[in-house]
Amino acid sequence: MSEKQFEPNIVAFLCNWCTFTAADLAGTSRLIYPSNVKIIRMMCSGMVDPKYVLKSFLEGADGVFIGGCWPGDCHYINGNMKARRRVALMHEVLERFGIERDRLWLRWVAASEGNAFADTVTAMTGRLKELGPCRVSREAVA
Amino acid sequence: MQERIGFYICHCGINIASRVRCPEVAEYVATLPDVVVSRDYLFMCSDPGQELIEKDIPAYGLTRVVVASCSPRMHENTFRGAVARGGLNPFRCFHHVCVREHVSWVHTDMDEATEKAKTLVRAGVRRVARQADLFPNTFPVNPNTLIVGGGIAGMQAALDIASAGYHVYLVEKQPTIGGHMLQYDKTFPTLDCAACIGTPKMVSVGQNKNIDLLTYAEVEELSGFIGNYTARVRKKARYIDASKCTGCGECTKVCPVDKPNEWDVGTLKRHAVYRSFPQAVPITFVIDKNDRAPCVQTCPAQTNAQGYIALIKAGKYLEATQLILEKLPFPGSLGRVCPAPCEAVCRRKKVDEPLSIRNLKRFAADQVDWDSLPLPPIEKKSEDDRVAVIGSGPAGLSAAYFLARMGYPVSVFEALGVAGGMMRTGIPDYRLPPAILEREIKYIERLGVNLHLNTPIGKDRTVDDLFHQGFRAVFVATGTHGDAKLGIPGEDAQGVMAGVAFLKRQNLAGDARVGEDVVVIGGGAVAIDVARVARRIGAKRVRLYCLEACHEMPAWEEEVHAAKAEGIEIHNTWGPAQILVSEGKARGIEFKRCTRVFDDKKRFSPAYDEAQRQEVCCDTVLVAIGQRPDTSWAEGSNVPLHPRGYVQADERTFATERPGLFAGGEVYTGPSIVVQAVANGHEAAISIDRYLRGEDLLEARPERPKGEQWNPIPDDALPTPRAKMPEIALDQRQGFEEVELGFTEAQALEEASRCIACGTCSECMLCVANCKAQAIDHSMKDEVLNLDVGSVIVATGFDPLDPTPMHEYGYGKYSNVYTNLEFERLSNATGPTAGALLMRDPENRYHFTSPPSSVAILHCIGSRDVNHHEYCSRTCCMYALKYAHLLKDKVGHDVLVYNFYIDMRCFGKGYEEFYRRIQGEGVRMVRGKATRVTDEAESPEEEGKLVVEAEDTLTGKLLRVPVDMVVLCTAMEPRKDTVDVARTFGISIGGDGFFLEEHPKLEPVSTATAGVFLAGACQGPKDIPDTVAQAKAAASMAQALTSLGRVEVQPMVSSIDEDICVGCKVCIGLCPYSAIEFDDRRGISVVNDAVCKGCGSCAGYCPSGAAKIRHFTDRQIFGEIEGLLVARSAS
Repeated sequence: MSEKQFEPNIVAFLCNWCTFTAADLAGTSRLIYPSNVKIIRMMCSGMVDPKYVLKSFLEGADGVFIGGCWPGDCHYINGNMKARRRVALMHEVLERFGIERDRLWLRWVAASEGNAFADTVTAMTGRLKELGPCRVSREAVA
Repeated sequence: MQERIGFYICHCGINIASRVRCPEVAEYVATLPDVVVSRDYLFMCSDPGQELIEKDIPAYGLTRVVVASCSPRMHENTFRGAVARGGLNPFRCFHHVCVREHVSWVHTDMDEATEKAKTLVRAGVRRVARQADLFPNTFPVNPNTLIVGGGIAGMQAALDIASAGYHVYLVEKQPTIGGHMLQYDKTFPTLDCAACIGTPKMVSVGQNKNIDLLTYAEVEELSGFIGNYTARVRKKARYIDASKCTGCGECTKVCPVDKPNEWDVGTLKRHAVYRSFPQAVPITFVIDKNDRAPCVQTCPAQTNAQGYIALIKAGKYLEATQLILEKLPFPGSLGRVCPAPCEAVCRRKKVDEPLSIRNLKRFAADQVDWDSLPLPPIEKKSEDDRVAVIGSGPAGLSAAYFLARMGYPVSVFEALGVAGGMMRTGIPDYRLPPAILEREIKYIERLGVNLHLNTPIGKDRTVDDLFHQGFRAVFVATGTHGDAKLGIPGEDAQGVMAGVAFLKRQNLAGDARVGEDVVVIGGGAVAIDVARVARRIGAKRVRLYCLEACHEMPAWEEEVHAAKAEGIEIHNTWGPAQILVSEGKARGIEFKRCTRVFDDKKRFSPAYDEAQRQEVCCDTVLVAIGQRPDTSWAEGSNVPLHPRGYVQADERTFATERPGLFAGGEVYTGPSIVVQAVANGHEAAISIDRYLRGEDLLEARPERPKGEQWNPIPDDALPTPRAKMPEIALDQRQGFEEVELGFTEAQALEEASRCIACGTCSECMLCVANCKAQAIDHSMKDEVLNLDVGSVIVATGFDPLDPTPMHEYGYGKYSNVYTNLEFERLSNATGPTAGALLMRDPENRYHFTSPPSSVAILHCIGSRDVNHHEYCSRTCCMYALKYAHLLKDKVGHDVLVYNFYIDMRCFGKGYEEFYRRIQGEGVRMVRGKATRVTDEAESPEEEGKLVVEAEDTLTGKLLRVPVDMVVLCTAMEPRKDTVDVARTFGISIGGDGFFLEEHPKLEPVSTATAGVFLAGACQGPKDIPDTVAQAKAAASMAQALTSLGRVEVQPMVSSIDEDICVGCKVCIGLCPYSAIEFDDRRGISVVNDAVCKGCGSCAGYCPSGAAKIRHFTDRQIFGEIEGLLVARSAS
């Protein structure tokens, strides 16, 4: 029973103007959260190409987190709305390939919401631990 | 080419090194492919740290550099500079990895943190090798600055920039600049008067040639980018021409509308035309208008009811009548007979009952001498533009009246021997005495209208003849003077009469006759009139039978009540089956039960229960079931008639198909109400004028006013009953004297004062008449300006918290609980008491009586309170001390002043000294937050006082302190429209709700949007010195941009690979900046670099992969993903 506990790998694509800044604020505020999340800085959630999400899962990510500005607050007017539509579609497609909905999170986290960022990462890590490893990359490789 | 990568990890003192084993990371990275140097260093951002990179580049022939340290938002540019100095393109050759904010500060386990750092660096090393040369774009900077908000921050920034010789647009939402500071009385700790130091700034702003002051204006949209913004500004209509207004104030002296003055936070009233305070800049007055009042919008004739009511309230009855005459020529008649649709929508009913609008109109009309009533100035038109009107009813006379006012020669042809149409022949004298109508018709004649009585049009003189005789336009308004028939047996018997004919006979000849027992058939207004007339001319018993149920009767409810009061019996839901005749005379009627009058589609379609019948005996039957038009006027002419005798015309212009022929009133609408006919006549007059001048009848024709943005119901509108119309006693209603006697003057004045001025400005036009400078223009429209600017300073300030929802402090309940801003106004020389600190009269919130003998000042109301705002508002401790001093100074040394505080925060220059001084003045300081204010006395000394409850935390005792006055030091809050403003300018909002600066310490005035700066309390609670300092900082940022004259814009924008693009155009629709255009020749989409902001909407979607954001290409992001996950996939 000494098997090491499963630690999910989370790739986070964060908007430079809000969620990335919130991640900085979480740091400045010394909020502690699990180290499973690895951040890739984007200029806008609307520039997250579905390819990036698929690539992450294929390379072995257990979850992908896209962080954008609250509706109406997008630095580029409406990029976050484009992300929302795209993620809705991706959820449909990913499910057919056996990737559960809860492996792809889109959340609005404003620049001032450092605690919301930490909470989201903590919650997502917890949820992915329940789901266990994502099988797709192994099966695809096999 | 083989890449040669250098890697550097920063310890950041111990910030990183305490959680991440930096040397281990460096060792690990050294093992990665292409890495030739890998170092760890204490402070990479220091000069020696940067030099390390600069020297290594040539020494090791580095082609790429990765630094792992703090967030790239902190030092990315620092290291880009170092790499550039080392001779490499900083975009191609540098990548920044964050191991502080995202690793060492958020993870506690050293192994985990070190592993994560390695993973992130591995991703960075993979990415950097895939980056490409990029060169920032340089753009010129527009030298103008836009400042939003004219408080002390905005004014100071504007003056600083203007003094440097640059141009400023200062946009202020209020009609005056000044902001909160100018509402205050004294300023702490120096106690200099806010006006003394503030008004010179205002004047300087107003006079500075480099400052374009745009007050009463708002920025609606900001587009463009740093150095090159365009702001769309809406300048709200002031309705006063600033170039003519001298600020003399004669307009406001006559304005009859009162409203709480926002500037005085409701402690003082102002008029609809006002200036916030005497020293306002600009000095131009402004007229406060909401949407037109519902009464005005609802009136078919758009009579300015709010206007004449306001004039009545001011005792200006002649002006009131003249205002009514702008929209209708029958104020006295309509003041008696109008069913007043305006009253149904009157918002006063939300307080108590609608205003008695009709009766007020009558009152105004009855106060003037109609023979000497002045005529409006008329500019005569050519004698050739003659207009004929057929019919002298309300529609015909109104058309004639308005045409005559426009200067046209008008002739009215009336078939009968009297003018007035149905108003004269159909409405009984006890409702509308003929003398009232006659004085109004005489007035119309005085305007030059020729009235030809006994001149029917039709047989002898046709409509065609009128045109031949030189009338260029003809308006037909012949009404509906024919009676509808029942179509049942016995209708022709003796003793059966038609209603309209019966009324006409009584009204004109006075010789109508009825038997003793009369039955009236019909449920409309005419039927009621018929019944009441029958009663008056001798009928012993009058019964009225109608199809409708009581609530469905089309008759006007008040008239039904009057009829019942006069003894008329009303029997609902009965329809006549036949009139019973004996020897040629009517002897009774057989009725059957009516089960339904209208069908599902609200069409008239009665249904009966044939089995349920009754016979009613009577000797006279009066049938008033509707009217039909008489078509004799159209004989012998080419006139477009409806088969049922109505004229067909356009519903807005009242023009018929025949050029020059117009029609309105009941001959067009069918039976209706007088005011509708008047409205038709007016619209037709407008059409005829346009027709005669050769204009299009519809183009730019004013629409009916609409909208529901009305003046809020004033809180001092207390329920008062609607005025009751005096009437002659029931037992004296034998003849045809008028039943309603009209309001007394006292009644009228009180009733008029119930008006809540829904439209704020009543458009009574008194101000226009009183303005010698002729500066007032009620038709002014909002103006939209597009301003080109290089930078923007947002200085929109704060809102004071409204303590009303905090019931424990009794604000709004107890009249002597004040907010800090109210206290400031009370203490201010331009405030409600001219600076005296007085208590409020509990009966009248605008009346102040005597000075208090004891005052409690409660700190931290809404601040430092988890239920409201966690933050400290920073100013309250100090102004609370200032209030204590002012009370001691103005009221006298013996006034007891208590300060209930949590902590005293006197941190500024001279603040602690001020605190000591005030303590020395005998002010009592109680350390404990007040929990409640109550008026429930527990001991004799508490009687009639406000009792403040608190725990003194220094002694641990519960206190009850009775005082006369309580001042709440309320929190400074973000403005209510902060979210909208943030979106307009692309600013982020912090957790406290205020605008978020780019960095809390090092970039206190910059925002997430380059070229947009913050100043003052919109960024967080601040006192005046800090606000001014920040304003000066923002001004210097704007000037730095302007004086450099050019700006570098990051090159991370979109590019579309022309070899790959298939020209699907999807990106064009997605681009929020319209930065992509289609090149028809090459069949591809092309990005305009200057407009693109690099959001990546196109790249995220492009189906062919042609659109890419530079520095965020697929290869680069894939590199990062692979780097992050390579360990996992390898395992």
